[in-house]
Amino acid sequence: MSIRIEQLTKLYQGTPVVNDVTLEIRTGEFFVLLGPSGSGKSTLLRALAGLTHVDHGRISLHERDVTELPARVRGVGLVFQHYALFRHMTVAENIEFALRVRRMRAAARRQRRQELLQLVALEGYDERYPSQLSGGQQQRVAVARALAHEPAVLLLDEPFGALDAKIRVELRDTVRAVQRRLGMTTILVTHDQEEAFSLADRIGVMQMGRLLETGSPESLYRFPATRFVARFLGAANLFLGRISPDGLQLGSALLAPDSAAMPAAPGTEAVFVVRPEDVELGATDGAAPQQQFAHGTVRSLTFAGHQQHVNIELDPHSKVHPAIGDGRGESDSDGVGVSVDALRSAAEQDAAPLAVGAHVNLGVRRLHALPTPISSFRVIASTAAQAEALEANPLLAQLVRSMQARVIRRVGGESTPERLDAGICVLPLTPGTADAVKSAIALGARRILCLPMHGALPARMLVHARDPQQRGPLLALVSSVMRHLPVEAIAVTLQRSDASRTEVVETQRTMLDTSADLRGAHGLDLRGERFVGDLPAWLARVCAQPEPALVVLGLKSSQPELDAALRGELAVLFGKHSYAPVLFAVDTQP
Amino acid sequence: MSLTDKLRLSGPPRRHQILPGFGLTMGYTVTYLGLIVLIPLAAAFLSAAHLPLAEWFRVLMTPRVLAAFRLSILASLAAALINAVFGLLIAWVLTRYDFPGRRLLDALVDLPFALPTAVAGIALTTLYAPNGWLGQILAPLGIHVAFTPLGVVIALTFIGLPFVVRTVQPVLADLDQDLERAAETLGARPTRVFRRVIFPVLLPALITGSALAFSRALGEYGSVIFIAGNIPLVSEIVPLVIMTKLEQFQYVEAAVIAVTMLLLSFAMMFVVNAAQLALQRRHLGKR
Repeated sequence: MSIRIEQLTKLYQGTPVVNDVTLEIRTGEFFVLLGPSGSGKSTLLRALAGLTHVDHGRISLHERDVTELPARVRGVGLVFQHYALFRHMTVAENIEFALRVRRMRAAARRQRRQELLQLVALEGYDERYPSQLSGGQQQRVAVARALAHEPAVLLLDEPFGALDAKIRVELRDTVRAVQRRLGMTTILVTHDQEEAFSLADRIGVMQMGRLLETGSPESLYRFPATRFVARFLGAANLFLGRISPDGLQLGSALLAPDSAAMPAAPGTEAVFVVRPEDVELGATDGAAPQQQFAHGTVRSLTFAGHQQHVNIELDPHSKVHPAIGDGRGESDSDGVGVSVDALRSAAEQDAAPLAVGAHVNLGVRRLHALPTPISSFRVIASTAAQAEALEANPLLAQLVRSMQARVIRRVGGESTPERLDAGICVLPLTPGTADAVKSAIALGARRILCLPMHGALPARMLVHARDPQQRGPLLALVSSVMRHLPVEAIAVTLQRSDASRTEVVETQRTMLDTSADLRGAHGLDLRGERFVGDLPAWLARVCAQPEPALVVLGLKSSQPELDAALRGELAVLFGKHSYAPVLFAVDTQP
Repeated sequence: MSLTDKLRLSGPPRRHQILPGFGLTMGYTVTYLGLIVLIPLAAAFLSAAHLPLAEWFRVLMTPRVLAAFRLSILASLAAALINAVFGLLIAWVLTRYDFPGRRLLDALVDLPFALPTAVAGIALTTLYAPNGWLGQILAPLGIHVAFTPLGVVIALTFIGLPFVVRTVQPVLADLDQDLERAAETLGARPTRVFRRVIFPVLLPALITGSALAFSRALGEYGSVIFIAGNIPLVSEIVPLVIMTKLEQFQYVEAAVIAVTMLLLSFAMMFVVNAAQLALQRRHLGKR
C-alpha cells in the first residue's frame, strides 16, 4: 500500500473541510480525487504533502507514518495549478533545486536534469526562464521539477486548470505516459470528470469534505451509490420508483429487474438512475421500444457532433416522478413538466429522425437503483406555514441541497392517509410529536426526522443503537445522512454507573463493533464515545447543551414497546425546551 | 487623399480610452513637471553654473562642507540599510500574519509621512536628550544619541521607514505562497526557502524602497536639525550647511553645494535604476 489515509479530519474555524477520510492507494496506482470546488480535495492533497496541519487521523506513505513530519522530509512531488515555478531561475535551476538541496554533484545533477527534460519532452530548454515558456511548457517543467528528487508519490493539484483545451489534452497524455513509465503512485485533484475518466485507475468523489465513493471510472459511472455521484459523473436522469416483487416500477410501467440492481427490500421506494444514452426513443407509430416507461414530447434537439441531445417533456399521465427537487417542497402533482434528457447516436438519428414537438415513446435500456434509503423527504405538517418553517430548517435544507433530494409536502390531515414507507418523514418537534411519530409508524414510516421549528445546523451527530439488532438499519441510515452533512459523527454507548467489569468490557466491545460495522458496510468512520448513565440522563444532557446535536436513535415498531419508549425513556426529546433534532430508524421486525 | 489621411488610415485603429486624448494629458504632464520640478531645479543650476570650476572647488573643499557631505551620505546610507532590514520584517509581519490590531499597526507605519518633520525632530530630541526618557538610560552606558551622528541616523531611520515597508508590502502580498510550498516539498529548509525563493523576488522592491528612503534621508532637514545639535564638523548635515550659507547671504556658495547635492542624488538614482533593470532582466528572461 503506497498511501494510507486513516480517519483524516481537518477543521477550518471549527467546521470540517476534510471530514473523516479513510483511503488506501496501491503502489503505481493513478488515483483521481474528483469534486466540486470547496469539497476539500485540495486540502486533502495538501495534508498529504505535509503543507497543512491535520486535526485528526494518520497518513502513511509506503508504510511510514508521516503525519507529524514536515513537507520537506516526506518525499512527495507536488505540482500546482499555477505552476509555482521559481521565476528568477532558469528551467535548469528550477529542476535542479531539489538536487541542490540534497547536495548532489553538478555532473549528476546535469544528467538527472537531462533525463527529466527528455521525459517531459523539453530537451534544450535548460537555459530559458519560465517567462519565456508557454503555459503548457511551464507545467511540464513543474512536473519535471516535482519528479527530480525521485519522490515516493506524485501529487497534482488541478495541474491542467490554467491551460487551454488543446494543450490540456496534450499535457494530460504526457502526464499519463510519464506516470506509466515510472510506475509512480499518483494522486490528481480535479473538478473535471472527463479528465478523471481519461486518467484514473480509480476515482474518489469528494463533497463537503467527505469522500463519498471510490471506484473504477466505469463502476462509479454505472453503479453510483449516491445521487451526487450519479449527477456529478456525467449526465443522469433521476426518477423516484418502487421496487416490487415483480420488478422495478417506474411510473405506470413495470420494468424487468436488473439482477445487479436490487439494493433494497421489495416494496420500498428507490431512486433510479437512467443515463441519457440509455433512454431509447421510438416514434409513437413505430415499434415500441423495449422496456417502455413513458410517453413524451420532444422539447429541444441539440447537435453535438457524433451525438444528438434530445430533451423530452413527459406526458402528465406517465406518472413518473423526478427524484431531484428544486429544494422547495411541492405537492405530489403527477409528473407535470418532468424533463428527460436523452442522447442518440448517429445511427439512431438516421433510423428515426426526430423533430421538435414530435411525440415519442420512451424506453430504458439500463437502469440502476441507488442503494440509499433516503429516496425523498415527506414533510408532514398541520399548516402550510409550519411546512415552510420545517423546510427552512438549516438541517433539512442542507440535507436536501446536498442530496439533491426531492421534498414532498403533506399538509393537514388528508382524507385518505397514504402509506409513508418511502424516504424520510419530517415532523415538527412539538409536545404532540410523540403521537405524530406513533401514527406515522402506523402508516409504515421507517425513517422519521423530528425537527425543531427554529434551529441551527448541528455540528455533531450522536448515534445510539438502543438494541444491538437495530444496528444494521440504523447504520445504513447514518451513513447516508453522514455523507451529506458537515458534521462530526459519534457513536455513543451507554454504560450504567454501577457497571460491573464484564459490562464495561461489553460496552467497549459494542463501541468497537459499531465502528467496524459502519466501516465494513459503508466505508465510513465513526468516533466512539461512552456515557456513564442511562438513556434518559444522556438525552437530557444532549438536549440541555447549547450547541444542537442531531440525535439518531433506533426505534421498535411493535405497539407496546413503542408506546413505552415514547412515553418513557424518550419523553425528554419531546419536552417543552428540547431543541435537539432527532432522527429515528424504525425497526419493523416483530 | 492627403498624407495625414493616409497615415491615419494606415495606423492602428484608435483604442477607446477613458481619459480625454493623448494630446491633452501629455501637455498637462509636461507643463506640470516643468512647473513643479524642472524650473526650480534649473534655477538652482543657473545660479551656480556660471561659476568657474576653481570656484566650485573652493566652496566644496572646505573641511566643514566635506564633513557635512560625509555625514549626510553615511548617515543616510546607514538609515537606509537599517530600514531595509526592519522594513522588510515589518512588511512580512503585516502581510503574513493576522492578529488583532494589525490594521492599527499598518496605519502606524505611515505616521512618519504624516507627522510634520519638525515635530518628529523635537520628539526624538526630548526622548534622546541626556535627561530624556531613553537618553537617561543610555547615557550611563556611554551611548550618546542626541547631538551626535548617531542621533542623525536615528532621525533619518524614522522618516525613511514607510518607504521600504510600503514598497515591499504589495510585492510580498502578491507573492504566490505556492512558491514556498513547492520549495518545501522539494526538501528545502525554511532558511533556504527564504534565501533562494522569497528574497530574490523581493529584492527589486527592497532596493527601490531603500533607495527612496536614502534619497529622502539625504534631503531631510526638519527632523534632523533638532536632534543633531548641528556642531560643525561633527553633526552638521548638508541641508543645514546650505541653510546657514543662505542666512549669511552667501547665495552662490549655497547654490554650489545644492547643485552638488542634486548631482549626487541623481547619480544615486541612476545607479539604483540601472541595478534594478539588470535584476529585472535576469529574473524575467530576455524582456
